[in-house]
Amino acid sequence: MEYTVEVFLDDYRLEKIKGSAVESKIETAFGGELKLLKVKVGEEVKNDLLKAFETARIDSRACITDTPVAFKRALFEEIAKQKSLGEEVVKAVLARIDEIKELAAKESDFLPAPEIETE
Amino acid sequence: MAGLYFNRPMPHGGKLVERVITDRTIAKKYLAACTKYCAFYDIKPTLHYKRGVPVRNVYREIMSVCYGFFSPVEGSMTSAELESVLSKRRLLSGWVFPYPILFDISREDYKKLGVSEGDRLILRLKGKPFAMLDIEEIYEIDPEELANRTFGSPETNPEVVREKFDDKHPGWVIYRSHQPIILAGKYTIINEPIFKPPFDRFWLPPRKCREVMEKRGWRTAIAHQTRNVPHVGHEHLMKNAAYTGDVEPCHGILVNAIIGVKRRGDYPDEAILEAHEAVNKYGYIKPERHMVTFTLWDMRYGNPLESLLHGIIRQNMGCTHHMFGRDHAAVGEYYDSYATQILWLKGIPSYGFDKPVNEVEGGLLIRPQNMREFWYCPVCKEMAYSENCNHTKEKEKLSGSLIRGLVAEGVQPPVVIMRPEVFKVVVKWWKKFNYPFVNERYVQRKEEELEVDLPDLD
Repeated sequence: MEYTVEVFLDDYRLEKIKGSAVESKIETAFGGELKLLKVKVGEEVKNDLLKAFETARIDSRACITDTPVAFKRALFEEIAKQKSLGEEVVKAVLARIDEIKELAAKESDFLPAPEIETE
Repeated sequence: MAGLYFNRPMPHGGKLVERVITDRTIAKKYLAACTKYCAFYDIKPTLHYKRGVPVRNVYREIMSVCYGFFSPVEGSMTSAELESVLSKRRLLSGWVFPYPILFDISREDYKKLGVSEGDRLILRLKGKPFAMLDIEEIYEIDPEELANRTFGSPETNPEVVREKFDDKHPGWVIYRSHQPIILAGKYTIINEPIFKPPFDRFWLPPRKCREVMEKRGWRTAIAHQTRNVPHVGHEHLMKNAAYTGDVEPCHGILVNAIIGVKRRGDYPDEAILEAHEAVNKYGYIKPERHMVTFTLWDMRYGNPLESLLHGIIRQNMGCTHHMFGRDHAAVGEYYDSYATQILWLKGIPSYGFDKPVNEVEGGLLIRPQNMREFWYCPVCKEMAYSENCNHTKEKEKLSGSLIRGLVAEGVQPPVVIMRPEVFKVVVKWWKKFNYPFVNERYVQRKEEELEVDLPDLD
């Protein structure tokens, strides 16, 4: 069975993949308002992800959700670097699992807020 | 024609409970008399029975009792009242009430206090006199039994309970973490707390709320329960549920947020209130028709039982209707997704309701408006109601985890999911707390600072 990891795209991320082969694979949701990339993974990588992150779960769409933000950020960086949506980008992130877990542990205490005007 | 109009319902129990001494001279006299003869007790947060983190603060219950949100409850329940609530979900007076409301202390504190039945206890909050408890009865409970009986089980409540309650359920944990000695009796607030911003803008106790509704000309008002910042699905729930009413749609939508200790991953209380305010401030619902308020309560996440408490609170505030959606006040898979709607449409005999809550003796007068789901439909190109839209394959659900995922990554949710002004509120409080959601640090800080300060009374 095939599983999906969704990576949401904002303007910053769109700029990072502009002109690459990955740009043509952008999908949309909510009437085109939400842009995302979908990385497909097999059973083995899915199990590795569930093992690595205790919060991770599979939703009704066979989508792997509730992974740490640190993982999602690293995954996007890897996509932008490798210009690929293949399973190998997830494997590359999992190869840095200790570093990602360390960042994920800090996430429960601090997450940087986006730089938008709030007043 | 007049027969078609709905009237504002009377408070639950017939009369609003108001146990607040607002005249400071009188309050000072009480305190002066008590200083000689009464014991003093500093209110402490209830700590998780295993992990030691705060899960509840009884001051919130005292506030909700004394300002009438929980009418007709007047204080900490006696053993007979507790038994009645656990076995029948009725007070001894016969009025429906879902949960034990108790003032609990440890055996050590009980020994130190040296109080007995008939004594008056002065309760201090943040080191200052706050309320009196006139002790009618002192008894002991088994917290685990209390927790189990409060929520039931798949065996005792097979109509709606799907899983055994355990320490992953925050409401069960609250009761399991109660101290064993119960001091039962009526509360009276002698020193009105002052709410800190932003809570001060949204504090509207039942009597005041009824006055505001009257002034606004709201003959009918529908309550919206929330413990979340509103996404566009919530906004559509409010707008569409409000089409009910009597001869015209409800005049008002009363958002009533539950403020207190919450689950990790929920949004901070400050963000919840201001985000709902943004819905009317930026015109998504006219401010004349939409009002944001709150009730102090450490949520028990009891789905149908919680819906009963919500109905009582909002009837006391003057609402004619209450909207109920899927998984109302739920967490995990403990209950049937539509347990609340089952209670209000058919009743749940094992909880003491062989008929809908509005039809039983001592029941509620507020009318339920049971709603299914809203999703985004790319074919209809709109937020659609699940019972209208037949594009079930194409539908795109607004799940909490999807939105939390976007927020956590700092990706601004699309406008069809979350209004930009609502997201700005989330970010405003994110910057303040360095985190967008409730975490251990937020809970610790909140329980140290609370939502209120107390003026000097001495």
